[in-house]
Amino acid sequence: MKRPVVPLLVIVAGTVLAGLAPLVMPPFSVRLGQLVLFYGGLAVAWNILGGFAGYRSFGNTAFIGIGAFTAGLLQPYLQGLQPLAGFVAGLVAGISACMVVSGLLAYPILRLRGAFFAIATLGVAHVCAELTNNIDAFQGAMGLTFPEIVPFDWEPRIFFYELYLAAAVITLLIAWFIKNSRFGYGLLAIREDEDTARMLGVPTERFKALALVISAGLTGGFGVIFANSLGYITTNSVYRDDTSLNLIVYCLLGGVGTLFGPVIGTILLVLLIQLVLGNLLDFHLFATGLLLVVLVLVAPDGVLGVIRKWRLKRRLAALEQA
Amino acid sequence: MTEAPILRVDALTRRFRGLVAINDLSFSVRAGSITSVIGPNGAGKSTLFNLITGYLRPSAGDVFFHEKRITGMSTDRIAAGGVARAFQIARPFRDLTVEENIRIGALFGKHGPRDVPATVSRALRLTGLQALQDEHTSALTVGQLRQLEVARAVATRADMLLADEPCAGLNPAETAHMIDVLRQVRDGGVTVLLVEHDMPAVMRVSDRIVVLDAGNKIAEGSPDEIATNPRVIAAYLGTPDPMT
Repeated sequence: MKRPVVPLLVIVAGTVLAGLAPLVMPPFSVRLGQLVLFYGGLAVAWNILGGFAGYRSFGNTAFIGIGAFTAGLLQPYLQGLQPLAGFVAGLVAGISACMVVSGLLAYPILRLRGAFFAIATLGVAHVCAELTNNIDAFQGAMGLTFPEIVPFDWEPRIFFYELYLAAAVITLLIAWFIKNSRFGYGLLAIREDEDTARMLGVPTERFKALALVISAGLTGGFGVIFANSLGYITTNSVYRDDTSLNLIVYCLLGGVGTLFGPVIGTILLVLLIQLVLGNLLDFHLFATGLLLVVLVLVAPDGVLGVIRKWRLKRRLAALEQA
Repeated sequence: MTEAPILRVDALTRRFRGLVAINDLSFSVRAGSITSVIGPNGAGKSTLFNLITGYLRPSAGDVFFHEKRITGMSTDRIAAGGVARAFQIARPFRDLTVEENIRIGALFGKHGPRDVPATVSRALRLTGLQALQDEHTSALTVGQLRQLEVARAVATRADMLLADEPCAGLNPAETAHMIDVLRQVRDGGVTVLLVEHDMPAVMRVSDRIVVLDAGNKIAEGSPDEIATNPRVIAAYLGTPDPMT
Protein backbone atom coordinates (compact mmCIF):
# COMPACT_ATOMS: atom_id res chain seq x y z
CA MET A 1 0.00 0.00 0.00
CA LYS A 2 1.26 3.49 -0.92
CA ARG A 3 2.05 5.47 2.22
CA PRO A 4 2.36 9.26 2.42
CA VAL A 5 5.98 10.17 3.14
CA VAL A 6 5.44 13.73 4.40
CA PRO A 7 4.41 12.60 7.91
CA LEU A 8 7.47 10.34 7.96
CA LEU A 9 9.74 13.25 7.08
CA VAL A 10 8.08 15.33 9.82
CA ILE A 11 8.75 12.51 12.31
CA VAL A 12 12.41 12.21 11.24
CA ALA A 13 13.01 15.98 11.36
CA GLY A 14 11.22 16.28 14.70
CA THR A 15 13.28 13.40 16.12
CA VAL A 16 16.58 15.00 15.10
CA LEU A 17 15.57 18.37 16.53
CA ALA A 18 14.18 16.93 19.76
CA GLY A 19 17.18 14.62 20.14
CA LEU A 20 19.64 17.50 19.98
CA ALA A 21 17.54 19.92 22.02
CA PRO A 22 18.86 18.89 25.50
CA LEU A 23 22.32 20.17 24.45
CA VAL A 24 20.98 23.72 24.61
CA MET A 25 17.98 23.38 26.93
CA PRO A 26 18.09 24.41 30.61
CA PRO A 27 17.45 21.58 33.13
CA PHE A 28 13.83 22.58 33.80
CA SER A 29 13.06 22.50 30.07
CA VAL A 30 14.61 19.03 29.76
CA ARG A 31 12.31 17.84 32.55
CA LEU A 32 9.39 19.48 30.76
CA GLY A 33 10.51 17.74 27.56
CA GLN A 34 10.44 14.40 29.40
CA LEU A 35 6.84 15.04 30.39
CA VAL A 36 5.84 16.00 26.84
CA LEU A 37 7.51 12.90 25.39
CA PHE A 38 6.09 10.59 28.08
CA TYR A 39 2.52 11.85 27.80
CA GLY A 40 2.79 12.41 24.03
CA GLY A 41 3.88 8.80 23.49
CA LEU A 42 1.12 7.54 25.78
CA ALA A 43 -1.45 9.68 23.95
CA VAL A 44 -0.33 8.31 20.56
CA ALA A 45 -0.62 4.76 21.98
CA TRP A 46 -4.11 5.57 23.37
CA ASN A 47 -5.07 7.00 19.97
CA ILE A 48 -4.47 3.66 18.21
CA LEU A 49 -7.56 2.20 19.88
CA GLY A 50 -9.33 5.36 21.06
CA GLY A 51 -8.79 7.49 17.97
CA PHE A 52 -8.34 5.14 15.03
CA ALA A 53 -10.98 2.61 16.15
CA GLY A 54 -13.15 4.93 18.27
CA TYR A 55 -12.96 2.79 21.41
CA ARG A 56 -12.12 5.42 24.04
CA SER A 57 -10.48 3.91 27.07
CA PHE A 58 -10.63 5.66 30.43
CA GLY A 59 -8.27 3.15 32.00
CA ASN A 60 -4.99 3.13 30.07
CA THR A 61 -3.23 3.76 33.35
CA ALA A 62 -3.83 0.04 34.02
CA PHE A 63 -1.16 -0.80 31.46
CA ILE A 64 1.30 1.76 32.82
CA GLY A 65 0.90 0.01 36.17
CA ILE A 66 1.07 -3.55 34.82
CA GLY A 67 4.20 -2.72 32.80
CA ALA A 68 5.89 -0.97 35.71
CA PHE A 69 5.08 -3.62 38.30
CA THR A 70 6.01 -6.52 36.01
CA ALA A 71 9.45 -4.97 35.44
CA GLY A 72 9.77 -4.15 39.15
CA LEU A 73 8.86 -7.64 40.34
CA LEU A 74 11.39 -9.08 37.90
CA GLN A 75 14.29 -7.00 39.24
CA PRO A 76 15.43 -9.44 41.99
CA TYR A 77 15.90 -12.12 39.33
CA LEU A 78 17.99 -9.86 37.09
CA GLN A 79 20.73 -8.89 39.50
CA GLY A 80 23.43 -10.82 37.64
CA LEU A 81 22.85 -8.74 34.51
CA GLN A 82 24.28 -5.36 33.56
CA PRO A 83 21.79 -2.67 34.71
CA LEU A 84 20.94 -1.69 31.14
CA ALA A 85 20.41 -5.34 30.16
CA GLY A 86 18.18 -5.72 33.20
CA PHE A 87 16.19 -2.70 32.03
CA VAL A 88 15.74 -4.24 28.57
CA ALA A 89 14.61 -7.54 30.13
CA GLY A 90 12.14 -5.65 32.31
CA LEU A 91 10.93 -3.71 29.28
CA VAL A 92 10.28 -6.89 27.30
CA ALA A 93 8.54 -8.49 30.28
CA GLY A 94 6.43 -5.39 30.99
CA ILE A 95 5.31 -5.04 27.37
CA SER A 96 4.59 -8.78 27.14
CA ALA A 97 2.53 -8.77 30.35
CA CYS A 98 0.42 -5.86 29.06
CA MET A 99 -0.14 -7.60 25.74
CA VAL A 100 -1.19 -10.84 27.43
CA VAL A 101 -3.53 -9.11 29.92
CA SER A 102 -5.10 -6.92 27.22
CA GLY A 103 -5.46 -9.97 24.96
CA LEU A 104 -7.40 -11.72 27.72
CA LEU A 105 -9.51 -8.63 28.37
CA ALA A 106 -10.22 -8.01 24.69
CA TYR A 107 -13.07 -10.47 24.29
CA PRO A 108 -15.24 -9.31 27.21
CA ILE A 109 -14.61 -5.56 27.12
CA LEU A 110 -14.58 -4.98 23.37
CA ARG A 111 -18.12 -6.31 23.15
CA LEU A 112 -19.10 -3.06 24.86
CA ARG A 113 -19.33 0.27 23.06
CA GLY A 114 -19.27 3.95 23.95
CA ALA A 115 -19.85 4.85 27.58
CA PHE A 116 -20.10 1.18 28.61
CA PHE A 117 -16.64 0.49 27.19
CA ALA A 118 -15.24 3.60 28.90
CA ILE A 119 -16.66 2.53 32.26
CA ALA A 120 -15.37 -1.02 31.82
CA THR A 121 -11.82 0.21 31.14
CA LEU A 122 -11.98 2.51 34.15
CA GLY A 123 -13.08 -0.51 36.18
CA VAL A 124 -10.19 -2.59 34.88
CA ALA A 125 -7.71 0.09 35.95
CA HIS A 126 -9.23 0.26 39.44
CA VAL A 127 -9.29 -3.53 39.83
CA CYS A 128 -5.63 -3.73 38.78
CA ALA A 129 -4.71 -0.98 41.25
CA GLU A 130 -6.61 -2.67 44.09
CA LEU A 131 -5.06 -6.06 43.35
CA THR A 132 -1.58 -4.54 43.27
CA ASN A 133 -2.22 -2.73 46.52
CA ASN A 134 -3.80 -5.59 48.45
CA ILE A 135 -2.00 -8.72 47.31
CA ASP A 136 1.30 -8.95 49.16
CA ALA A 137 3.12 -10.62 46.27
CA PHE A 138 2.72 -7.47 44.14
CA GLN A 139 4.16 -5.21 46.87
CA GLY A 140 2.07 -2.28 45.66
CA ALA A 141 1.62 -0.76 49.10
CA MET A 142 5.26 -1.15 50.16
CA GLY A 143 6.66 -0.21 46.79
CA LEU A 144 9.35 -1.55 44.48
CA THR A 145 12.80 -0.12 43.82
CA PHE A 146 14.65 -0.05 40.53
CA PRO A 147 18.44 -0.04 40.14
CA GLU A 148 20.35 2.84 38.57
CA ILE A 149 20.50 2.14 34.82
CA VAL A 150 22.08 5.32 33.45
CA PRO A 151 25.24 4.28 31.55
CA PHE A 152 28.59 6.06 31.32
CA ASP A 153 28.60 9.63 32.54
CA TRP A 154 25.19 10.58 31.17
CA GLU A 155 23.10 12.93 33.18
CA PRO A 156 20.05 10.90 34.29
CA ARG A 157 17.78 13.76 33.22
CA ILE A 158 19.11 13.69 29.66
CA PHE A 159 19.34 9.89 29.51
CA PHE A 160 15.65 9.48 30.36
CA TYR A 161 14.73 12.32 28.02
CA GLU A 162 16.39 10.45 25.15
CA LEU A 163 14.81 7.16 26.28
CA TYR A 164 11.34 8.74 26.27
CA LEU A 165 12.11 10.27 22.89
CA ALA A 166 13.07 6.87 21.44
CA ALA A 167 9.90 5.29 22.83
CA ALA A 168 7.71 8.15 21.58
CA VAL A 169 9.23 8.02 18.09
CA ILE A 170 8.81 4.22 17.88
CA THR A 171 5.19 4.64 19.00
CA LEU A 172 4.59 7.37 16.43
CA LEU A 173 6.16 5.27 13.65
CA ILE A 174 3.97 2.31 14.59
CA ALA A 175 0.91 4.60 14.56
CA TRP A 176 1.95 6.00 11.15
CA PHE A 177 2.38 2.49 9.78
CA ILE A 178 -1.00 1.38 11.17
CA LYS A 179 -2.83 4.47 9.94
CA ASN A 180 -1.72 3.86 6.37
CA SER A 181 -2.21 0.11 6.37
CA ARG A 182 -5.17 -2.14 5.58
CA PHE A 183 -5.44 -2.69 9.33
CA GLY A 184 -5.66 1.09 9.82
CA TYR A 185 -8.43 1.42 7.26
CA GLY A 186 -10.25 -1.39 9.00
CA LEU A 187 -10.01 0.46 12.32
CA LEU A 188 -11.26 3.61 10.61
CA ALA A 189 -14.26 1.72 9.26
CA ILE A 190 -14.95 0.34 12.75
CA ARG A 191 -14.87 3.85 14.20
CA GLU A 192 -17.21 5.22 11.53
CA ASP A 193 -19.79 2.41 11.57
CA GLU A 194 -18.90 -0.98 13.00
CA ASP A 195 -21.88 -2.82 11.51
CA THR A 196 -21.19 -1.48 8.02
CA ALA A 197 -17.51 -2.33 8.42
CA ARG A 198 -18.46 -5.92 9.19
CA MET A 199 -20.73 -6.02 6.13
CA LEU A 200 -17.74 -5.01 4.00
CA GLY A 201 -15.66 -7.89 5.33
CA VAL A 202 -13.65 -6.09 8.02
CA PRO A 203 -12.85 -8.67 10.73
CA THR A 204 -13.94 -6.24 13.42
CA GLU A 205 -13.41 -8.43 16.49
CA ARG A 206 -9.87 -9.39 15.48
CA PHE A 207 -8.90 -5.85 14.50
CA LYS A 208 -10.24 -4.31 17.72
CA ALA A 209 -8.42 -6.88 19.82
CA LEU A 210 -5.18 -6.30 17.91
CA ALA A 211 -5.49 -2.52 18.34
CA LEU A 212 -6.04 -2.96 22.07
CA VAL A 213 -3.05 -5.31 22.41
CA ILE A 214 -0.73 -2.96 20.49
CA SER A 215 -1.95 0.08 22.43
CA ALA A 216 -1.56 -1.74 25.75
CA GLY A 217 1.92 -3.06 24.89
CA LEU A 218 3.19 0.40 23.95
CA THR A 219 1.62 1.90 27.08
CA GLY A 220 3.29 -0.79 29.18
CA GLY A 221 6.65 0.10 27.65
CA PHE A 222 6.23 3.69 28.78
CA GLY A 223 5.26 2.39 32.22
CA VAL A 224 8.58 0.53 32.50
CA ILE A 225 10.60 3.59 31.47
CA PHE A 226 8.59 5.75 33.85
CA ALA A 227 9.22 3.34 36.74
CA ASN A 228 12.96 3.30 36.04
CA SER A 229 13.06 7.08 35.85
CA LEU A 230 11.37 7.32 39.26
CA GLY A 231 13.57 4.60 40.80
CA TYR A 232 10.82 3.68 43.26
CA ILE A 233 7.14 3.01 42.58
CA THR A 234 4.01 2.32 44.58
CA THR A 235 0.47 1.63 43.39
CA ASN A 236 -0.41 5.27 43.72
CA SER A 237 2.49 6.49 41.63
CA VAL A 238 1.67 4.45 38.52
CA TYR A 239 -2.08 3.77 38.65
CA ARG A 240 -3.36 7.32 38.34
CA ASP A 241 -6.82 8.21 37.04
CA ASP A 242 -5.63 11.70 36.13
CA THR A 243 -3.11 10.17 33.70
CA SER A 244 -5.90 8.30 31.87
CA LEU A 245 -7.99 11.47 31.80
CA ASN A 246 -5.08 13.59 30.56
CA LEU A 247 -4.42 11.27 27.62
CA ILE A 248 -8.01 11.74 26.43
CA VAL A 249 -7.78 15.51 26.83
CA TYR A 250 -4.50 15.65 24.87
CA CYS A 251 -6.04 13.69 21.99
CA LEU A 252 -9.26 15.72 22.02
CA LEU A 253 -7.32 18.97 22.03
CA GLY A 254 -5.01 18.01 19.17
CA GLY A 255 -7.42 15.92 17.12
CA VAL A 256 -8.61 12.42 17.94
CA GLY A 257 -7.84 9.84 15.26
CA THR A 258 -5.20 11.94 13.54
CA LEU A 259 -1.51 11.01 13.55
CA PHE A 260 -0.09 14.20 15.03
CA GLY A 261 -3.14 15.39 16.96
CA PRO A 262 -2.16 13.63 20.21
CA VAL A 263 1.36 15.12 19.98
CA ILE A 264 0.07 18.63 19.31
CA GLY A 265 -2.48 18.35 22.12
CA THR A 266 0.15 17.09 24.56
CA ILE A 267 2.60 19.86 23.76
CA LEU A 268 -0.10 22.53 24.14
CA LEU A 269 -1.62 21.18 27.32
CA VAL A 270 1.52 20.05 29.16
CA LEU A 271 3.04 23.47 28.62
CA LEU A 272 -0.23 25.13 29.66
CA ILE A 273 -0.55 23.00 32.79
CA GLN A 274 3.09 23.24 33.80
CA LEU A 275 3.55 26.90 33.07
CA VAL A 276 0.10 28.32 33.90
CA LEU A 277 -2.31 25.90 35.58
CA GLY A 278 0.46 24.40 37.74
CA ASN A 279 0.14 27.50 39.91
CA LEU A 280 -3.43 26.43 40.69
CA LEU A 281 -2.06 23.52 42.76
CA ASP A 282 -4.89 21.13 43.69
CA PHE A 283 -7.30 22.92 41.38
CA HIS A 284 -5.36 21.97 38.24
CA LEU A 285 -7.28 18.67 37.96
CA PHE A 286 -10.52 20.60 38.14
CA ALA A 287 -9.20 22.97 35.48
CA THR A 288 -8.24 20.00 33.26
CA GLY A 289 -11.72 18.51 33.63
CA LEU A 290 -13.32 21.84 32.82
CA LEU A 291 -11.13 22.13 29.74
CA LEU A 292 -12.33 18.67 28.64
CA VAL A 293 -15.97 19.76 28.89
CA VAL A 294 -15.32 22.96 26.97
CA LEU A 295 -13.37 21.06 24.30
CA VAL A 296 -16.13 18.52 23.72
CA LEU A 297 -18.66 21.33 23.35
CA VAL A 298 -16.66 23.79 21.27
CA ALA A 299 -14.18 21.77 19.23
CA PRO A 300 -14.93 18.04 19.49
CA ASP A 301 -12.46 17.23 16.72
CA GLY A 302 -9.59 19.22 18.22
CA VAL A 303 -7.17 21.68 16.62
CA LEU A 304 -6.62 19.57 13.50
CA GLY A 305 -10.37 18.92 13.29
CA VAL A 306 -11.11 22.65 13.30
CA ILE A 307 -8.60 23.17 10.48
CA ARG A 308 -10.08 20.27 8.48
CA LYS A 309 -13.64 21.54 8.93
CA TRP A 310 -12.61 25.01 7.84
CA ARG A 311 -11.05 23.57 4.67
CA LEU A 312 -14.13 21.40 4.06
CA LYS A 313 -16.41 24.43 4.39
CA ARG A 314 -14.32 26.28 1.82
CA ARG A 315 -14.58 23.36 -0.59
CA LEU A 316 -18.34 23.12 -0.09
CA ALA A 317 -18.70 26.86 -0.69
CA ALA A 318 -16.64 26.55 -3.87
CA LEU A 319 -18.81 23.60 -5.03
CA GLU A 320 -22.00 25.58 -4.37
CA GLN A 321 -20.67 28.53 -6.35
CA ALA A 322 -19.76 26.24 -9.23
CA MET B 1 -27.52 -30.77 -16.25
CA THR B 2 -28.81 -27.81 -14.21
CA GLU B 3 -26.28 -25.24 -13.05
CA ALA B 4 -26.00 -25.06 -9.24
CA PRO B 5 -27.54 -21.87 -7.83
CA ILE B 6 -25.20 -19.27 -6.35
CA LEU B 7 -27.53 -18.79 -3.37
CA ARG B 8 -29.95 -21.27 -1.88
CA VAL B 9 -32.29 -20.46 0.98
CA ASP B 10 -33.63 -23.66 2.51
CA ALA B 11 -36.66 -23.74 4.84
CA LEU B 12 -35.52 -20.50 6.50
CA THR B 13 -37.49 -19.35 9.51
CA ARG B 14 -36.93 -16.39 11.82
CA ARG B 15 -39.09 -15.69 14.83
CA PHE B 16 -38.97 -12.59 17.02
CA ARG B 17 -40.69 -13.98 20.12
CA GLY B 18 -44.28 -14.46 18.95
CA LEU B 19 -43.82 -12.84 15.55
CA VAL B 20 -42.78 -15.01 12.62
CA ALA B 21 -40.89 -12.63 10.33
CA ILE B 22 -39.76 -15.32 7.85
CA ASN B 23 -41.67 -18.58 7.67
CA ASP B 24 -40.22 -21.74 6.11
CA LEU B 25 -38.88 -19.79 3.12
CA SER B 26 -37.09 -21.61 0.32
CA PHE B 27 -35.83 -20.26 -2.99
CA SER B 28 -32.67 -20.18 -5.00
CA VAL B 29 -30.87 -17.56 -7.07
CA ARG B 30 -29.23 -18.34 -10.39
CA ALA B 31 -25.70 -17.01 -10.90
CA GLY B 32 -25.51 -13.97 -13.15
CA SER B 33 -29.15 -12.97 -12.69
CA ILE B 34 -31.03 -10.13 -11.07
CA THR B 35 -33.55 -11.64 -8.69
CA SER B 36 -35.93 -9.30 -6.90
CA VAL B 37 -37.68 -9.89 -3.61
CA ILE B 38 -40.87 -7.88 -3.31
CA GLY B 39 -43.65 -7.62 -0.80
CA PRO B 40 -45.55 -5.09 1.27
CA ASN B 41 -43.98 -3.43 4.31
CA GLY B 42 -43.41 -6.02 7.02
CA ALA B 43 -43.19 -8.87 4.54
CA GLY B 44 -39.76 -9.84 5.86
CA LYS B 45 -37.53 -8.59 3.04
CA SER B 46 -34.97 -6.78 5.19
CA THR B 47 -35.04 -9.65 7.72
CA LEU B 48 -34.21 -11.98 4.84
CA PHE B 49 -31.18 -9.82 3.93
CA ASN B 50 -30.11 -9.77 7.58
CA LEU B 51 -30.32 -13.57 7.69
CA ILE B 52 -28.34 -14.04 4.48
CA THR B 53 -25.58 -11.66 5.61
CA GLY B 54 -25.29 -13.22 9.07
CA TYR B 55 -26.51 -10.11 10.87
CA LEU B 56 -29.32 -12.24 12.29
CA ARG B 57 -29.30 -15.96 13.01
CA PRO B 58 -32.21 -18.01 11.73
CA SER B 59 -34.53 -19.81 14.12
CA ALA B 60 -34.53 -22.72 11.66
CA GLY B 61 -33.35 -23.49 8.15
CA ASP B 62 -30.16 -22.81 6.24
CA VAL B 63 -28.53 -20.51 3.73
CA PHE B 64 -26.10 -21.91 1.18
CA PHE B 65 -23.75 -19.75 -0.91
CA HIS B 66 -21.92 -21.52 -3.73
CA GLU B 67 -23.41 -24.65 -2.14
CA LYS B 68 -21.46 -23.96 1.05
CA ARG B 69 -23.52 -23.64 4.22
CA ILE B 70 -23.08 -20.11 5.59
CA THR B 71 -25.73 -20.25 8.31
CA GLY B 72 -24.32 -19.02 11.62
CA MET B 73 -21.13 -17.66 10.06
CA SER B 74 -20.07 -14.17 11.15
CA THR B 75 -21.07 -11.23 8.94
CA ASP B 76 -17.47 -10.35 8.06
CA ARG B 77 -16.69 -13.93 6.98
CA ILE B 78 -19.77 -14.05 4.79
CA ALA B 79 -18.77 -10.70 3.26
CA ALA B 80 -15.21 -11.89 2.73
CA GLY B 81 -16.68 -14.98 1.08
CA GLY B 82 -18.30 -12.85 -1.62
CA VAL B 83 -21.63 -11.45 -0.40
CA ALA B 84 -21.87 -7.64 -0.40
CA ARG B 85 -24.74 -5.48 0.77
CA ALA B 86 -25.91 -1.98 -0.12
CA PHE B 87 -28.10 -0.64 2.66
CA GLN B 88 -31.63 0.73 2.40
CA ILE B 89 -30.60 3.90 4.25
CA ALA B 90 -27.20 4.95 2.94
CA ARG B 91 -24.57 4.42 5.60
CA PRO B 92 -21.43 6.13 4.31
CA PHE B 93 -18.38 6.56 6.52
CA ARG B 94 -19.15 10.20 7.21
CA ASP B 95 -15.66 11.44 8.04
CA LEU B 96 -14.09 9.99 4.92
CA THR B 97 -14.01 10.97 1.26
CA VAL B 98 -15.89 9.11 -1.47
CA GLU B 99 -12.65 7.48 -2.61
CA GLU B 100 -11.73 6.40 0.92
CA ASN B 101 -15.19 4.89 1.43
CA ILE B 102 -14.79 2.80 -1.71
CA ARG B 103 -11.17 1.95 -0.89
CA ILE B 104 -12.27 0.30 2.36
CA GLY B 105 -14.57 -1.91 0.32
CA ALA B 106 -11.70 -2.78 -2.01
CA LEU B 107 -9.24 -3.49 0.82
CA PHE B 108 -11.51 -6.09 2.36
CA GLY B 109 -14.11 -8.26 0.67
CA LYS B 110 -13.42 -11.38 -1.34
CA HIS B 111 -9.94 -11.07 -2.76
CA GLY B 112 -8.29 -8.97 -0.08
CA PRO B 113 -6.07 -5.97 -0.85
CA ARG B 114 -5.17 -6.73 -4.46
CA ASP B 115 -5.45 -4.23 -7.33
CA VAL B 116 -7.04 -1.72 -4.97
CA PRO B 117 -6.55 1.44 -7.12
CA ALA B 118 -7.92 -0.31 -10.23
CA THR B 119 -10.89 -1.68 -8.29
CA VAL B 120 -11.68 1.74 -6.82
CA SER B 121 -11.42 3.31 -10.29
CA ARG B 122 -13.82 0.74 -11.76
CA ALA B 123 -16.36 1.30 -8.97
CA LEU B 124 -16.13 5.08 -9.39
CA ARG B 125 -16.59 4.78 -13.16
CA LEU B 126 -19.50 2.37 -12.83
CA THR B 127 -21.45 4.68 -10.56
CA GLY B 128 -20.39 7.95 -12.16
CA LEU B 129 -18.79 9.27 -8.99
CA GLN B 130 -15.31 10.00 -10.44
CA ALA B 131 -15.72 13.77 -10.22
CA LEU B 132 -16.66 13.51 -6.54
CA GLN B 133 -13.98 11.08 -5.42
CA ASP B 134 -12.15 13.61 -3.23
CA GLU B 135 -15.30 15.04 -1.67
CA HIS B 136 -16.50 14.21 1.81
CA THR B 137 -19.78 12.35 1.88
CA SER B 138 -21.50 15.37 3.43
CA ALA B 139 -21.28 17.01 0.00
CA LEU B 140 -23.30 14.25 -1.72
CA THR B 141 -26.98 14.21 -2.64
CA VAL B 142 -29.27 11.31 -1.68
CA GLY B 143 -28.90 9.83 -5.15
CA GLN B 144 -25.11 10.06 -5.01
CA LEU B 145 -25.08 8.47 -1.55
CA ARG B 146 -27.06 5.54 -2.95
CA GLN B 147 -24.54 5.21 -5.77
CA LEU B 148 -21.76 5.29 -3.19
CA GLU B 149 -23.44 2.41 -1.33
CA VAL B 150 -23.41 0.36 -4.53
CA ALA B 151 -19.86 1.43 -5.44
CA ARG B 152 -18.51 0.44 -2.03
CA ALA B 153 -20.27 -2.92 -2.14
CA VAL B 154 -19.13 -3.63 -5.70
CA ALA B 155 -15.56 -2.70 -4.76
CA THR B 156 -15.47 -5.74 -2.46
CA ARG B 157 -15.44 -7.78 -5.70
CA ALA B 158 -18.28 -9.85 -4.34
CA ASP B 159 -19.96 -12.57 -6.37
CA MET B 160 -23.34 -11.39 -5.15
CA LEU B 161 -24.75 -7.96 -4.36
CA LEU B 162 -27.69 -7.59 -1.99
CA ALA B 163 -29.25 -4.24 -2.84
CA ASP B 164 -31.81 -3.09 -0.29
CA GLU B 165 -34.21 -0.58 -1.88
CA PRO B 166 -31.53 1.27 -3.89
CA CYS B 167 -34.17 3.37 -5.71
CA ALA B 168 -36.08 4.55 -2.62
CA GLY B 169 -36.38 8.33 -2.57
CA LEU B 170 -34.74 8.80 -5.97
CA ASN B 171 -36.20 10.90 -8.78
CA PRO B 172 -36.97 9.23 -12.14
CA ALA B 173 -33.61 10.16 -13.67
CA GLU B 174 -31.69 8.87 -10.65
CA THR B 175 -33.81 5.69 -10.64
CA ALA B 176 -33.03 5.09 -14.30
CA HIS B 177 -29.33 5.57 -13.59
CA MET B 178 -29.49 3.14 -10.67
CA ILE B 179 -31.23 0.51 -12.80
CA ASP B 180 -28.58 0.96 -15.46
CA VAL B 181 -25.84 0.54 -12.81
CA LEU B 182 -27.47 -2.66 -11.47
CA ARG B 183 -27.65 -4.06 -14.99
CA GLN B 184 -23.98 -3.26 -15.53
CA VAL B 185 -23.17 -4.96 -12.23
CA ARG B 186 -25.00 -8.07 -13.40
CA ASP B 187 -23.38 -7.93 -16.85
CA GLY B 188 -20.03 -7.76 -15.08
CA GLY B 189 -20.72 -11.21 -13.62
CA VAL B 190 -22.12 -10.22 -10.22
CA THR B 191 -25.43 -11.75 -9.21
CA VAL B 192 -27.88 -9.21 -7.81
CA LEU B 193 -30.53 -9.88 -5.19
CA LEU B 194 -32.73 -6.83 -5.08
CA VAL B 195 -35.32 -5.63 -2.61
CA GLU B 196 -37.32 -2.78 -4.11
CA HIS B 197 -40.71 -1.12 -3.82
CA ASP B 198 -40.54 0.70 -7.15
CA MET B 199 -42.56 -1.81 -9.21
CA PRO B 200 -41.87 -0.42 -12.69
CA ALA B 201 -38.15 -0.53 -11.84
CA VAL B 202 -38.42 -4.10 -10.54
CA MET B 203 -40.28 -5.25 -13.64
CA ARG B 204 -37.71 -3.61 -15.93
CA VAL B 205 -34.60 -4.95 -14.29
CA SER B 206 -35.48 -8.38 -12.85
CA ASP B 207 -34.84 -11.77 -14.39
CA ARG B 208 -36.86 -13.44 -11.65
CA ILE B 209 -39.05 -12.27 -8.77
CA VAL B 210 -39.85 -13.79 -5.38
CA VAL B 211 -42.92 -12.37 -3.63
CA LEU B 212 -43.23 -12.39 0.16
CA ASP B 213 -46.24 -11.63 2.28
CA ALA B 214 -46.07 -11.71 6.09
CA GLY B 215 -42.92 -13.83 5.95
CA ASN B 216 -44.35 -16.42 3.52
CA LYS B 217 -43.44 -16.91 -0.11
CA ILE B 218 -46.63 -16.49 -2.09
CA ALA B 219 -45.19 -16.52 -5.61
CA GLU B 220 -42.01 -16.92 -7.62
CA GLY B 221 -41.45 -16.50 -11.32
CA SER B 222 -40.56 -14.22 -14.21
CA PRO B 223 -41.78 -10.59 -14.15
CA ASP B 224 -44.59 -11.48 -16.59
CA GLU B 225 -45.74 -14.40 -14.45
CA ILE B 226 -45.69 -12.28 -11.30
CA ALA B 227 -47.58 -9.43 -12.96
CA THR B 228 -50.47 -11.73 -13.75
CA ASN B 229 -50.43 -13.87 -10.60
CA PRO B 230 -53.79 -13.43 -8.80
CA ARG B 231 -52.29 -14.03 -5.31
CA VAL B 232 -49.69 -11.33 -5.86
CA ILE B 233 -52.28 -8.93 -7.19
CA ALA B 234 -54.52 -9.59 -4.21
CA ALA B 235 -51.79 -9.40 -1.60
CA TYR B 236 -49.58 -6.65 -2.89
CA LEU B 237 -50.11 -5.04 -6.25
CA GLY B 238 -53.78 -4.39 -5.69
CA THR B 239 -54.77 -3.60 -9.30
CA PRO B 240 -55.14 -5.92 -12.28
CA ASP B 241 -52.70 -3.93 -14.39
CA PRO B 242 -50.17 -2.27 -12.11
CA MET B 243 -47.33 -2.06 -14.61
CA THR B 244 -48.74 0.71 -16.67
